[in-house]
Amino acid sequence: MMMRKIKHIVGALFGILVMNSCDSSDLELRNPNTLSPDTFFKTEAQVESSVNAAYANLQTRGLYARNFFFAMDLMGQEAAGNPQLEGNKKPFQDFSFNAGNDIIQYYWESCYIGISRANFVLDNEAKINALPNSVLSQEKKNKFLGEVHFLRAYYYFLLVKRFGDVPIYKTVTIEGAARSPKAEVYDLIRTDFEFASQNLLSKTVEQTGRATKEAAFAYLGKVLLYEKKYDLALAALNNVTGFSLEDRGNFYNNFMEETEHGKESIFEIEFDEKNGTGNKWDDPGNSQGTGFAESTLRGQEYGNLSWFNVYPTDDLLNSFESGDERFAETFYVPGSTYLDGKLTMTAQNFNTSAGLRKAGWKKYQNYYKKEDEAVQSSINVKVMRYADVLLMKAECENQRDGGSQTAAIAYIKEVRDRAGLTTAIVPTKEAVFAAIVQERKVEFAGEQSRFDDIIRWGIASTALQGSGFTAGRSELWPIPNRETSSNPNIKPSNNNPGY
Amino acid sequence: MKLKFKIALFALLIIGIQNVTAQSKTIQGTVTDPSGFPLPGASIIVEGTQNSASTDFDGRYSLKGVNSTDKITYSYVGLISQTIVVGGRSTIDVTLVQSTQNLNEVIVGYGTQKRTKVTGAISTVGSKDIAAVPITNAESALQGRAAGVTVVNGAPGSNPTVTIRGLATMGNSAPLYVIDGVLTNNLSGLSPNDIESMSVLKDASTTALYGSKAFNGVIMVTTKKGKKGPGQLSFSTYAGFQTITKRYDVLNTQQYLQYAKDLGSDLTTRAAEFGNINTNWQDEIFQSGIMQDYNLSFSNGTETSTGRYSAEYLKQEGAVINTGFERYSFRANNTQDIGRLKVGSNIGISFSTINPERSAGGRTLLEHAIKMAPYLPVYNENNLGGYQGPSAVDGNDAENPVRVANLGYQKINNLSIIGNIYAELELLIGLKFRSQVSLDYFTSKDHTFVPSYNDGSYHRQAFSTTNETNAQGQTIVFDNSLTYKTTIASKHNLEVLGVITKIDGKSRNLVAGSRYNISDEIDQLRYNEGSLTSANYEEKNIGYIARINYDYADKYLLAVSGRRDASSRFGANNRWGNFYSVALGWNIAKESFMADSFFSTLKLRASTGTTGNDRIDNYQYSATLLADYNYPIGGGNAPGVSLGVAANPDLKWESKRDRNIGLDFGFFDDAFTGSFEYFNSKSSDILFAVPLSASVGSAGGGTQIQNIADVKVSGYEITLAYNDRKGDFTWSAVANLGTNKNEVVSLAPGVTSVLGGPVPRAGSENFSRLEVGQPLFYFYGYQTNGIYQNQAEVDAVFGPGQTNIKPGDIRIVDRDGNKIINSEDKTNIGNPYPDFTYGLNITAAYKKFDFNCFITGVHGNDIYNANTFDLKAMNRLFNASTDVLDRANVVNGVVTNPSASLPRAQGADINWSSANQRYIEDGSYTRLKNVTLGYTLPGETFGSYFSNIRFYVSGQNLVTITKYSGLDPEIARTDGNANSAGIDLGRYPQPKSVIFGLDVKF
Repeated sequence: MMMRKIKHIVGALFGILVMNSCDSSDLELRNPNTLSPDTFFKTEAQVESSVNAAYANLQTRGLYARNFFFAMDLMGQEAAGNPQLEGNKKPFQDFSFNAGNDIIQYYWESCYIGISRANFVLDNEAKINALPNSVLSQEKKNKFLGEVHFLRAYYYFLLVKRFGDVPIYKTVTIEGAARSPKAEVYDLIRTDFEFASQNLLSKTVEQTGRATKEAAFAYLGKVLLYEKKYDLALAALNNVTGFSLEDRGNFYNNFMEETEHGKESIFEIEFDEKNGTGNKWDDPGNSQGTGFAESTLRGQEYGNLSWFNVYPTDDLLNSFESGDERFAETFYVPGSTYLDGKLTMTAQNFNTSAGLRKAGWKKYQNYYKKEDEAVQSSINVKVMRYADVLLMKAECENQRDGGSQTAAIAYIKEVRDRAGLTTAIVPTKEAVFAAIVQERKVEFAGEQSRFDDIIRWGIASTALQGSGFTAGRSELWPIPNRETSSNPNIKPSNNNPGY
Repeated sequence: MKLKFKIALFALLIIGIQNVTAQSKTIQGTVTDPSGFPLPGASIIVEGTQNSASTDFDGRYSLKGVNSTDKITYSYVGLISQTIVVGGRSTIDVTLVQSTQNLNEVIVGYGTQKRTKVTGAISTVGSKDIAAVPITNAESALQGRAAGVTVVNGAPGSNPTVTIRGLATMGNSAPLYVIDGVLTNNLSGLSPNDIESMSVLKDASTTALYGSKAFNGVIMVTTKKGKKGPGQLSFSTYAGFQTITKRYDVLNTQQYLQYAKDLGSDLTTRAAEFGNINTNWQDEIFQSGIMQDYNLSFSNGTETSTGRYSAEYLKQEGAVINTGFERYSFRANNTQDIGRLKVGSNIGISFSTINPERSAGGRTLLEHAIKMAPYLPVYNENNLGGYQGPSAVDGNDAENPVRVANLGYQKINNLSIIGNIYAELELLIGLKFRSQVSLDYFTSKDHTFVPSYNDGSYHRQAFSTTNETNAQGQTIVFDNSLTYKTTIASKHNLEVLGVITKIDGKSRNLVAGSRYNISDEIDQLRYNEGSLTSANYEEKNIGYIARINYDYADKYLLAVSGRRDASSRFGANNRWGNFYSVALGWNIAKESFMADSFFSTLKLRASTGTTGNDRIDNYQYSATLLADYNYPIGGGNAPGVSLGVAANPDLKWESKRDRNIGLDFGFFDDAFTGSFEYFNSKSSDILFAVPLSASVGSAGGGTQIQNIADVKVSGYEITLAYNDRKGDFTWSAVANLGTNKNEVVSLAPGVTSVLGGPVPRAGSENFSRLEVGQPLFYFYGYQTNGIYQNQAEVDAVFGPGQTNIKPGDIRIVDRDGNKIINSEDKTNIGNPYPDFTYGLNITAAYKKFDFNCFITGVHGNDIYNANTFDLKAMNRLFNASTDVLDRANVVNGVVTNPSASLPRAQGADINWSSANQRYIEDGSYTRLKNVTLGYTLPGETFGSYFSNIRFYVSGQNLVTITKYSGLDPEIARTDGNANSAGIDLGRYPQPKSVIFGLDVKF
């Protein structure tokens, strides 16, 4: 009786299980942890988030969170390495880097991932434009698209300056492309910045952190200046209105957290540790821009009370005219006060295992309010200041056919007045050019401008004499091995000269 | 055929005549195990007849109708069968002993099989071998004992890396584990004392039943069951210590100060501040770890039920400070017979706590210990946290490894339940239906707390941090099977199996972190600058399985199996896979023409079949967006969403076709035994995360899972054994040797090579490479040829004018002669796979003494020693190998010490930033893995209270012969992945250990 019952039960169970097992639609599983591209771009929040993602790559360790400032300041011979400077950064000081250098790889990847994120939005342009205006107004559609055009151009500009000919992608793909001529890259950058300048909102109405109409004009002007199209550049720069320099005595407002997005600031790379400290070192995102790591390592890396990995070179220190009020806002020296003037630095604060240094960096340090730098810094990187616009306008006036040296000097004077400098500039083209070279060097010391400037002016061989700079090679970085080993259309033999 | 028929007829006739003529009688007796315990349920059969019996509860039997010329075979699961000629006796008592090597019955998928009927490639290890050596994880019992199987252990509590017959895939290469029919990924919760036997299924004829899970082979584990008979209580314990004795030779304070001065840093005053002490940082991170283990088990059985219950406590301090492992494991195995219904359950529960080796800045303790300035002290009570670290003035930012290891804690608490419940019903004679539900359940909590500290200007944290990952998962497997077993005309043995299996896996995790500025007293999560994410995963499989085993009189064997499998890890287009196997066997020794030969065993086997591999992450076929790209906008944190890892909707199964030919032989009543296996396999459509062009800007490391390559693997395995079981002195020796060679046969269209694996410390590029005609992930880098001695030598290669490479730099071979060193000059600089691996296991016993000695080794492999970078690269000031004292000294552009072994300090970036031959070393080694000496007290020593007491002392890894300069040549692949084969990243070396143990049976 018992046995029979068991038999029946087992038989019935078996039947159920067999039928159950045959149902293979069970195997269709949805990933519950991620969103699907098929159902995206339906709300304003979704469109906006896809745009935000393209900004996130500016914060990578490959770019403004860490490596970028080292590489540029070292190549420009503005900074030199203390013994503790890491092995992958040292080669930038003597131009001995090669295609295996990871800083070059992360820079390359950071830019291209940013471009891919921008392209992802542009690939869905039709979907976005098809949204009813009640969901997303036409003005917002335009400005969101304007932002990704701006960012795509920004990343390509970073690339073309370092690598020359680079592959162009205008859509998301997984197929690697061949290198396009530099001129075509510049065409794309210009077109994108132009689109952005027509569609973005003004700084007066836009949220902080986003690209604005004025930023687009400023960068359009810069790109045209790099292409030596001085009239067009000047026209673009003239559209950058509503800005002025921080007042004399407030130069340092450009480098503090509390005074971000001030009247001189046109575009900033945002950092804010209160939005996420993350773990910088274990983060795989050297170039991904993922996660909550919303802070930059600059303060800790450069600070003479902290890691003091680099120090300002004598050449840079000596470039400041006596009486230049910017010196004390750019560098700390023994006797400088910090922590709201409560503490004073001694010579020992500049000690390294290779001896005492004359100075340490002050720009972008948190010492004005903190006794020492922890891993995180929230200070935004001011990548486009009005001072840059003034000096670019001066350069355009000085270089363009029929330009006015007097007008150029007026722009330079605005910058020099703020620094407390009074020496007059002789109104000849050569003298004005020399004044611009000098002024850019000190105004933007430690702001990753010097190396780009001397390259485009063609004076790097003399300016960087003795550094290891080799003309015909060191102007460009090599395309990283990671690319040449994975892109069938770029072979190691297609690399830049000398690599 | 005709002849065979005649012989068969003749044989029948003879038997018939004998039955008529011979005087038949009844034989009685008892069957016991070596310790005198009765064996109930042992089977007794008169050879060549259906006349059989089985022992009762007290091990007694009685068999009628036996003639004096008959041979009776006594057998019992797990013990060696014995065949005895009756002769004039009417009482025959038999003691069945456990096999030292070849178990008579081997576990195969969904059942067991007699060794003589096996047609595939299976290695087995029995409980006696497992008990011979104190081990903390069950996998270690396979090391060196099963040909073609390699096992490498890591830190205490970590899962060992197990590889069967080399690598045939690029992803997860771990085998499937099946514990009493429950599919699982490792044996971490299982006490080695609870294991009855382990079978390693190596070829497709044995693994194809597990279809999509069996690609890397299968390790079948049977746990000990209760035995019918009076209860038996056993207790065993061991205690000992383990230690790491090898060190890298690094500079002492005096040498370091001079070296620093040469590199432009004068640290004399700084060292004097600390009293010119000399800290040996390696000694500071290694320790002698105490280990102890206690195991208690009880087994009993009645006529209709058996049970075995066991508990174990293991505590292991690591050989690295603040590492360790603690485990409580419990197991209960029960069976019940209710008429034709058999029900049972096997359940194991374990709780464990792991203190893993901690790291900081993505660097191992060992790396920090090598690099730390030797003049710094370990402790400084004036510093917050109590440790001394470097400051900017030291120019060396290695972290104090003792602080990294000891400050705060990391604890991983695991709970695991692995078990099954089954019912088996004999529907008709020979026809059984079995239904089984298996559960593999785990929870895991990984909690890390680091209080605030300040070692100096480099390493400080003004707040405490707490991180916790909670994970939980379960896999439920329903198996329903029908087996039919019959013998037709007494010669045709047939067994048919059908199974439907359904696997349902779910897991979930919650990852949280927070920091707290107010106090170090709270080591729990606080909602103060925190992060929180969770994820859910699901996996489903369905499989239909069929198998037919047929043999003709044990002589001619045939096994055929098939499985149709579906996995949720693949897109709808490629979801189903079919796997099959066919195997043939011929027991030559049973042929009549072999009757007079000295062969006691001679069997030829051949098999072919296919298996699959679905071991990739879930959901890889569907395109996804990642919502993890935040950016501060308008003062707040704006969420960013964009494309995730590039999806591949065309993903399909990895499949493998295996072929195996085996020969088993035994001479002189199996005193000599051996086997030879030759195998080759071809894996197709191997899945790999292929690096996409970096410039396409794909997320998640820029890779896409693709079916990229076909790989073939071939090799042979030889096992030879000698057994001398006679007299007071008995001994046996088992030697095995295995080779396997893999080669990439083809890559996906348009792909000529793929790079993978870890990257060297200072560079950016992977150096393990896939290329057609080469082994999987061979080492790809620059050839080197000495050191440039002067400018003329440099200019001869590069021409004048370049300033990068200078005298004293490594002469990297410009293979294409274009005067530029770039990745086109890279080539094959090493092969991570050994030419062969070997093992020798010697056991001996003299009266009450027992001895075991066990040697393993590998030969002919290369190791990429990543520690070389920290020891020798000298690209900035860190402590380093004493070899740096012999670096090239350049004066006025000329190397003044031409015999220098290392290039100049702080030389060209390319000296060390890419893989080159200077990182590659010969990884061959021979290791005395274990030596054990035991003594068994006679049972009567303490009256009848104990039946058996054994003491032993055992040493592990005591002697290693190798040319490898690293701490341990026995290195594991990271996460078992093929692309890190042969790369020594400075992880936990195998310790030496000395252990004292005691086994008691009551």
